[in-house]
Amino acid sequence: MRSRAAFALVTLLGLALALPGALSAASKKKKPAAAKEAPVNFDRFLPVFGTRLAELPPGGMKGLADGACLTCHSADIVVQQHLTEKQWAATVTKMAGWGAAVPDDKKSELVAYLVKNFGPENTGWHPVATRPMGR
Amino acid sequence: MDRRRFLSAAAAAAALARVGGVASAAQAAAKKPTPVPDGVPPSRRRLLQLNGYAANAETPLDALTSYITPNDLFFVRSHWVPQYPTLKSWSLVVDGEVEKPREWKLADLKALPRTTVTCVLQCAGNGRALHRPAVPGVQWRYGAVGNARWTGVRVKELLARSGLKPGAKHLHTFGSDKPPEKVPPFNRSLELEKVLEDGVLAFEMNGETLPAPHGAPLRLIVPGWCGDHWMKWVTRLSPQPEPQKGFYMDTAYRYPDKPGEPGVAFKPDEMHPVTELFVKSCFTDVPASVKVGAPVTVRGFAFSGAPDISRVEVSEDQGQSWKDAVLDPQHDPWAWRLFSYRFQPATPGSVMLLARATDSRGAVQPKEAVWNQSGYLFNSWHAAEIAVTA
Repeated sequence: MRSRAAFALVTLLGLALALPGALSAASKKKKPAAAKEAPVNFDRFLPVFGTRLAELPPGGMKGLADGACLTCHSADIVVQQHLTEKQWAATVTKMAGWGAAVPDDKKSELVAYLVKNFGPENTGWHPVATRPMGR
Repeated sequence: MDRRRFLSAAAAAAALARVGGVASAAQAAAKKPTPVPDGVPPSRRRLLQLNGYAANAETPLDALTSYITPNDLFFVRSHWVPQYPTLKSWSLVVDGEVEKPREWKLADLKALPRTTVTCVLQCAGNGRALHRPAVPGVQWRYGAVGNARWTGVRVKELLARSGLKPGAKHLHTFGSDKPPEKVPPFNRSLELEKVLEDGVLAFEMNGETLPAPHGAPLRLIVPGWCGDHWMKWVTRLSPQPEPQKGFYMDTAYRYPDKPGEPGVAFKPDEMHPVTELFVKSCFTDVPASVKVGAPVTVRGFAFSGAPDISRVEVSEDQGQSWKDAVLDPQHDPWAWRLFSYRFQPATPGSVMLLARATDSRGAVQPKEAVWNQSGYLFNSWHAAEIAVTA
């Protein structure tokens, strides 16, 4: 893990030093075949499990939701849902039972915030392309 | 391996060329790109992140084109942020209904007779995002599946050396990952009959040391069964007369006994544990557009809870008629079958292809999967649309 981080740092440093040169070299030589095979565009300098994370949207309940949800998981799993009020209420009840800090008197407000942002019509979500990581 | 590919990326190599000692390796990598033996080109080598932490990422379908799914492209599913065991302190405890309970170190296991199985691993929730009405959970689409070569020790070998008692019917399994807060532990059990027949405790994946996200140092392989049985980071196996209790047995990972009305939740006693995979096929390699009259070949994979696939069919007319796809000869029990289908679009516009598989027991992939509130085992016909230009 440490060597991977060091490697990323060296690479980042190297890229900063070499970027102008690399760009001019690329503009001189056109290689359509190579371009076709180029790796996909993900941010390879981010840690393996730390590719861009989603954020919860603004609103009166954002602070509470950040504190209650993001202790155990990133916001990605929240923002990809498109659930009914009944499903969100069941989810909040389950998570509160598992230790999420949701005071009883804030529960309905939190459910309303989730339904407003991630209700059944929230269907436009797409996952982030990230680099291969399974090792 | 992924570091070498990383190095071979032209930009990184050019950048590193400016940094003293690392430069020679980088330049060598730039001159000689690392061969990609699995045939998945660099342009397709990525995962789709469904959750940053706990790490959940699926493989895009266009990277699932090879018989063996490469380790670095294999989907990752985590319930929570895992604490990877360290090999020094790690051991496997075998206790319960056995004459000789004991602790095994990895070296002890590696001294036993080895076996290799090649089979599909699919998350029970693969395709959850495709159920309608929507259900909560990680919104997997198609790529929480892969086919890999698993090397290790048969569960049967291990339990034979432990003196398995006749009263044991279920294998209770435990991993080292600990849930946060008051989340229940991911403790599971499965029928001993199945795991004695087919179960493997794997320490290698595709010829490499099992990667940490996939359960190193030891993972239970259950060919033909959903991923929830494939315990990662295994630390304890305990044969018992009864199934294990707990949230991940009694509430989660359950599937309806018979279909109901979509959107109406089933009660726990109307469901049973998810076990076998369902017959399923997917297109993987489909061009976005083709010319009218030009021959096109589309490809895909098919697998099931039965050990083999006997047929994959493709429809060009919304399921009115079906034609056989060609099955690739490469196969192992419970591995997937790659297939290909060649056709010539006759008119401009667009063509919708549908795929359905039939397994070696005669089960046919259904037009519509059975809706269930947790979104398990989605296996509706797979559709691919291709634009046909004049």
